[in-house]
Order: sequence, then C-alpha cells, then structure tokens
Amino acid sequence: MGLVEITGREQILIRQQRLGHFFTLLVIILALLYSLNLRNGVVNATVPYTDLQAGITVNYPLNWLLDTSGDYVFRVRDMSRIGFKTTLQVTLRPVGPDMTERNVLDALNITRPITLSTYDIQSVEQIMLTTERPATLMRYTYVDTETNPFLESFPIVVAGEDILTLSGGQAIIITFRTDARTFEQDRPIFLQFLRTLEF
Amino acid sequence: MAKKQKKYTIPLWWGVGTRYIVSQIIKDGIYAVPTIIMMLLLLTVAPTFAQTTIPEIDLDRIRRSTVYIMQTRTIGGIPVVTCVGSGTLIDRSGLIVTNAHNTVTNTACSGDTIVISLSILPNEPPVPSYYAEVAQADIGQDLALLRISRELSGRVVNSDALALPFVELGDSSLVNLDQTITVVGYPDVGNSSVESLRGTVGSFIAEPIGGDRAWMKTDTPIPGTMTGGGVYNQQGQLIGIPTTVPIRPLSADETCLLLADTNGDGLVNDRDSCVPIGGFINTIRPSNFVRPLQRGAALGITLGRITQPFVQLETGGEATVSRLFIAPSEIDGMPTTVASSLPTGTDSLYLFFDYRNMTPDTIYELRVTIDDRPSPTFSLAPVRWGGGGNGMWYIGSRGQVYPNGIYRFTLYINGLASGSREIIIGTPQPNAPTFSNIAFGVEDGDNLYGRNNVLPTGIVVNARFIYRNIPEGAQWAEIWYYDETIIRRNDATWTNDTQDTRILRVEAPGGSPLPSGRYRLELYLDGLLLATSDFVVAGAREGAFPRVFSNLRFTSADSLEEAVGNPSVRTFANTTREIYGLFDWEFIAPGTLWRAVWSVDNVAFYDQTLPWDNIETGQNFAMLLTSTSRIPDGTYRLQLFIGPALLATFEAQVGIGQLPIDPFAQATGVQMNGRVLDAETRVGIPNVSFIVISEDFSVEDFVWRADQVYTMATTDRNGRFQLERPLQLGLPYSVIVVADGYLTVSADGVEVDAETENPLEVVIVMTKD
Repeated sequence: MGLVEITGREQILIRQQRLGHFFTLLVIILALLYSLNLRNGVVNATVPYTDLQAGITVNYPLNWLLDTSGDYVFRVRDMSRIGFKTTLQVTLRPVGPDMTERNVLDALNITRPITLSTYDIQSVEQIMLTTERPATLMRYTYVDTETNPFLESFPIVVAGEDILTLSGGQAIIITFRTDARTFEQDRPIFLQFLRTLEF
Repeated sequence: MAKKQKKYTIPLWWGVGTRYIVSQIIKDGIYAVPTIIMMLLLLTVAPTFAQTTIPEIDLDRIRRSTVYIMQTRTIGGIPVVTCVGSGTLIDRSGLIVTNAHNTVTNTACSGDTIVISLSILPNEPPVPSYYAEVAQADIGQDLALLRISRELSGRVVNSDALALPFVELGDSSLVNLDQTITVVGYPDVGNSSVESLRGTVGSFIAEPIGGDRAWMKTDTPIPGTMTGGGVYNQQGQLIGIPTTVPIRPLSADETCLLLADTNGDGLVNDRDSCVPIGGFINTIRPSNFVRPLQRGAALGITLGRITQPFVQLETGGEATVSRLFIAPSEIDGMPTTVASSLPTGTDSLYLFFDYRNMTPDTIYELRVTIDDRPSPTFSLAPVRWGGGGNGMWYIGSRGQVYPNGIYRFTLYINGLASGSREIIIGTPQPNAPTFSNIAFGVEDGDNLYGRNNVLPTGIVVNARFIYRNIPEGAQWAEIWYYDETIIRRNDATWTNDTQDTRILRVEAPGGSPLPSGRYRLELYLDGLLLATSDFVVAGAREGAFPRVFSNLRFTSADSLEEAVGNPSVRTFANTTREIYGLFDWEFIAPGTLWRAVWSVDNVAFYDQTLPWDNIETGQNFAMLLTSTSRIPDGTYRLQLFIGPALLATFEAQVGIGQLPIDPFAQATGVQMNGRVLDAETRVGIPNVSFIVISEDFSVEDFVWRADQVYTMATTDRNGRFQLERPLQLGLPYSVIVVADGYLTVSADGVEVDAETENPLEVVIVMTKD
C-alpha cells in the first residue's frame, strides 16, 4: 500500500516580495504611530492664556470653555465631559502681612460648606511646586447638584484639589475639580496645567 | 467679525409664512450627518409655528415663574403655616415680587420663615424648593420683594448660579381700560397647580400715592390665595399684583382656614390659629410700584437715616376718618371744589377725607353703592393703608363715566364702617353756586409767593378763589385753621358780583410771622362746605419761593463727623462704599409730611413720605447710602419734597455714572427646551452641553470663550434641557451640542420669529463616534 503525502508546496518568496511585505507593515505601523500622535496632539493640545494684570501665564486644554467673568482670574471647563464638567481655575485673594496659607485655607473651609453640599476635606499637605515654590495642597470632595429645579439629575460626587501659595501680598489658589470616579484619570491634565503655570 | 457667511434659507413648503433660517458651516464632513439630523428635527417642529399669526402670551414661562409662598413659624419643633400667597420671579437669581401682608411678619402673619414652592411639573401642585427672606418691602403699599436665600437643606443658595425662569416688569402706566389681562397664581393652599384667569381692566382708582393709577380693578374674581401673584398684558409682561388683605379679627371660616394644631393641644379646632386667605380679589396694584423696590434690591445697597428723631410725635390712638366730601377733580392733591351733586356724564370723582392715627398695618376699604346696589367697579377691596399717620387723603377715579344714580361711599377702617358720604349723579344744576380753585401765596407788596401750596414764612397769607353764581345777600363764611385749630373765622353777607375771583387774607396777630405748620381754609355758603384746601408754611423766603432745604450735598467719609466737614462731591470713585446725603433745613414744623426720593439713573430706589420729627431749623440732616462691596456705578440723585413741591435736588456720579447693563434682564423671546437622544438607543443622554453662541459669532468663529456664549444648558438624567435665556426674535444664533463619545452637532443661523411656537421643543440626536 502506498502512502501518498500531500503537503503544501513551500512558498518561496522572492526578495522583492519580502521587501514589499516589510514596507507594507512599516507603512501600517507608521500610520498607526502617526494616528496616535495626531490623536494625542488633538487630545493634549493646549491654548496659551495670559493675564497681564494678574501676572499669570498658563496653557489650558484646547476646546475647554474659558470664563473670566466670575470672582476668579480665569476658569476653564471641559464642556464635553459627561458628568461633572472638569474644571481648572485660578483665583487671587488679597492677604494681610501676617496671614498664612493655613489662614486662607481655613477661610475657604469655613465658607465652602455654606454653598457646597457635604463638603469634606480629605487631606492637607505641604508640597513643592516645580518652580521650587512651597505650597499647600488640599484635597476635598463635595456633592454637586443640579441648580435648575425643573430638571431631574442625580447628584455627582466631585473631587477637588486646591494648591495654595502666597505671593506678593496675595494668595494664589489653583483649583482642579472633576468627577470623583475619573479623578485619577483626569489628574494628569491638572499636572500638565501646573507645569505650564507661571506667576 | 466674519459672521454667517454661508447663510441661506431652508424652504418650508408646508409652513405658510414660517421662516426658519438655518445656515450651516460644517467644519468637518463627519459632522454633516448629525447636523442635518438636527436641522431636520428642528424643522419638523416648524409647521406648528405657522398656525398662530398673533404672538401668544408665554403662559408656560409665566406659570413656571409663579411661586407659591408659605410663611411659617416653628411650634414644638414643627413648622406651621401662618400665611399663604402667590408670588412671581422677576429675575433669574431668585427675586420674587409679592405682597407684604403675608410675608413680612405682622400681627396677622406672625411667621418668621418664608418657604417658596415652585411649579416643577405642569398641572401638578407646587413643590417646596427654597427658603427666602425679605429683600425690600413697602408695608403701606403692601409690596415685598423676597430673595431666595437657602435650599430646604439649609445650604445657602449661590444666586449667581441660579437660572430660574422669570418674567419682565411691564409699564403699568400704559394699561388701558378694557385691556385684556391674564391673572396667574395659586387658587388654594397649595393643593392645586398654578392657575391662569383671563379678564379685563374695568377701572382705575386714584390715591395721592400713585395718582390716577394707584390701583387697577378687574371684572374677574380672583381667589384670595392669588394675592401677590401676577397680572400680565398680552406681551407676557407683569403689569400688576393682585392685592387684598384679610380683615382682622380672624376666625375660621371660608376666608381663614384651619390647617394645623398651632397651640399644641393635640387638636385642630377653633382655638388654633387659622391661615387667612381672604375673599375674592378684584384689586390690582400696578407694577410700576415695584420698580423702586426692584432697583433697591438689585443694587444691593442699604439706605439708612443717621440723624435720629428729636421730637416725639404723637402716636397711637384709634384710627379714624372724618370730614368726608366729594370733589369732581383735584389739583396737587387738593380738591378744586366740594360737590353735593354732579351732572350726567361725570367721569371724574374723588372722595376726600381727613384721617388720624393711621399706620401701614391699618386696613381700609371703600364700599360704593349705586341706588343701594353694591358697585364693585368703584369699590376698593380691603388694602393696607399707604399714607402717613394724619392728614387729608382722597380716593377716586378719572376718565371713566359714572352712571346716573345715588352714590353712597362708605369707608371701613379695620373692618368697621367709619364714615360715609352720599352724592347724586345725574341731577342737572347749571346755576349751582360754587367756590373753587383756592390758591395760596404769601403777600409781599402786590405779589404772592409760594410753590404748590408750600409757602415761606411770612406775616400775611392770601387765598385767591373763584366764585360762580353766588347770589347777593347769601350768607357765607371763611374759616382758617392752623393745625386743626381755628385762627380766623369770618361770617358775612355776600356783596360781590355773581362770578369772579376774590382774595382772602389771614395774618398772625401782633405782626409776627405765621408759625410754620399745616393750615387749612374752608369756605361755606349757607352753612354748606363749598371749597377747602390745605397749605404748609415752611422755610424762609428766597426770591419767590420757600427755602426749606438747603446745602443739599453728597460726600464720602468714615464717620458722620468727618462727613459734615467734608466738601460736596459730584464724582465718586467706583470703589466707594459709603455716600452721605446731607442737608440743612429751616422752619419745618414737627409733623409736617416731607418726602425723600433717592434714584439711580432716573429710577427711584427709595421713596418715603414721613412726618418731620426734628427741631424746626437745623443743619446736617444725614442719610447714608452703604454697600457691603461697593456702590454700583450710576448717577445718583436725592430729591426732597413737601407735598408735590420739589424743594431741593442733588446729583452725583459713581464710577462711569451709569449702571451696567444686565444681559440676563430680558425675559421675552422664545424659550427653547428639548431632549438630546442617542441615535442608536433613542435614550436621553445625560450631561450633554447645549451651547447657544451669540449672534455675533458663527461656529467657525467660536473659540470657546464664555463671552461668546449667549446661553447654554446641560441635559438632565433623561436628556432633557432648558436654555437659561430665551432666544430673541430675528437673531441668527449658532448652536453646538457636545458630549464625550459622540460626534459634535453644530449649526449656524438658528433663528426664531414671532410665529415660532413658544416654548420651542427640539430633539437632538447624537451619534456615537
């Protein structure tokens, strides 16, 4: 009984074919890298902001809504965010010569519970800014509720960070607030923001 | 600014006259599909726009702006309702106009907490939502402005973050007789949804405060709990506040409801306090009375009197009215003549009376009968007293014909009949004798000096009057009073012509000047009062007029002592926190009614008439304007009056001299609401941002700056949204709808017009990216 072995014939690629495959893969990889870069460029793109009167320069994320009409120097919000609109804000407060960072924080912590529901301080610690300037970092949470009584919305737990430093007779309060569920995911935005902040 | 370059009109073949202009600038082709879907959805609502050619009153917005008000006090740890009423939001930050009698603590309404309930769902009873406090009030005019201050949890409300629906104040001076009005309020004690009633303006009632339009009357009976609610014109503007006051003493009946165990005995019975709701209302306080309160509340400033009373004025005693008589007309608050009958076609009539010991808590009412039948048209429901403590008052009307008949006017004070007067209309008396038009002046040589019945101190006062048809030989009398005491009486036989003018005179004995104070002249013929008028002697003579107030000035200082020494200031820095208003005065008798009016940019924010309670002559009477932050930019003016006579005025600028324009003050336009849905699941998407860009920018121009945004909204958990500001007619807005995970929807040229349905409901469908 004879045995017939049927096997595929080994395909022998010529050099040009191998090169063709290689370049195809290379193009795909390059395209992927380019796409990723393009996406990162869009996602991480920033816009410069300068306030000469306040002496502040900073870059904030592209397509965040800039507002300078409140009791802050400026505030930007990510309006596309589903949930609490992630917010970055810089506020200046005049301080007396004997006032400490702790005094300013105490004032904030006394007034905030009046307007922020279940305002709760998580931690307070001393940090050093990238500019070698000492500062105080305070983490807190509160519950954000819909202000329009005609709409139905679930409350959102908001996590916030304030970085406070005193400079030139005023307290500079840099605030970051976001949905508590995405706090760790969003925090790099704040760190990037801090790295570009000059005052 | 490059704007809407690619605008074009979408033809609407099914909608006659409907213009819904949509242009689109699509920055990225991928946005085309959702944008077109949005446009088509917008257009699907368009056919309904065309069905009404006359703009309809925006009842939806008005109903949502109407609040139910409960005044409460805590008994045994439980809040108990003491008084109820309706109110109306007049700005987005929670300013509510309503009555004072059921919100400001008083004998009948002793609560100390005000709960505001909103009409959250159509056709549902109101839902308690906030606490409020009294921001401004005029007890006598029975108006109060409340400000929403706390949530029910007790947390302070950030008024800047509130975006409540509200209505605009209309100009009540433009309201006409028989004009159609809509009355909105809550018809019971919180069990029913907000109700609207249609009616017409039946008459106007005149009083010294407010002139010919102190009150409006409607033919529509309004439930008592609607007191404090709103009356609207066809443009949806608030033109009046239905007003009535339940009469004390209160006992449980259909006008006073037993709701709770207020005495803690475990029972709800006659021994508990009832909640007064009053009877039906047909009296409306015009909205122009609200403007000073609104301006004062909006400015966030406080006006205080620094100079304290020096003279203790007589107070207390029973409130009374006396000397009722009818006049066919009035000039500067004084009757031209006294009538006992009037001809057919009479369209002007005033009931004058003297009053004593009245307070803003006094409730007065006028009941008019014609041939013994009650006349709601000319009657006035029980209302708060708006005058001072003592003086002469009138109530009447002009411009509406009084049918022939025998009229009886009866005044009720705190529910008790206190005086009445009868007059016949329709009896021709072509040659009836009359004295009329008394005018006063201080004599100096051949000249008379004075201004609007305010005369400078002098030795002789002359009175000139007109007489007609006085038969020779008739017995007549002139009686002069000083502070209700007769100082001269002359009974004589008439010897003049039958008609002309005549001058009478009175002088103080001994050649000394007449003392300052209130005077009166009465003229009688055959024992009947035919004419009377009052005048005030105050101030020194300066030229032709009295100098009562002088050296009126504004200044800024840290204390009164410093202010007195500081020079007058016409321009203040925009950081000013305090402005003193100072003036000197001469010869003002204690008890003389004077009036101070503070205004900014020609709108009064303080207007009070008070009895003078200081020494007769002095310097540096001080009033202080303060603000917790800074006094807003504007042109501030202080005017001082006695009676109708403007005697001193001063004006100064703060900052740029003009109040900043509030971009959110406009309540008219088209309210846009809607839903944002997921294209795949058709389920509402929560927390989507719906941004309306100002008409000056297109989507392409939008660089995500808040000052480019006209208004915006965020969807709730059902994907529903309500824009904070109404869209204005004929302006091409642009819209961006953004949410993470979905393709952005955008459109230019979104425009509404008079035919657009209001509120406009739109549905936006978003596709996942």
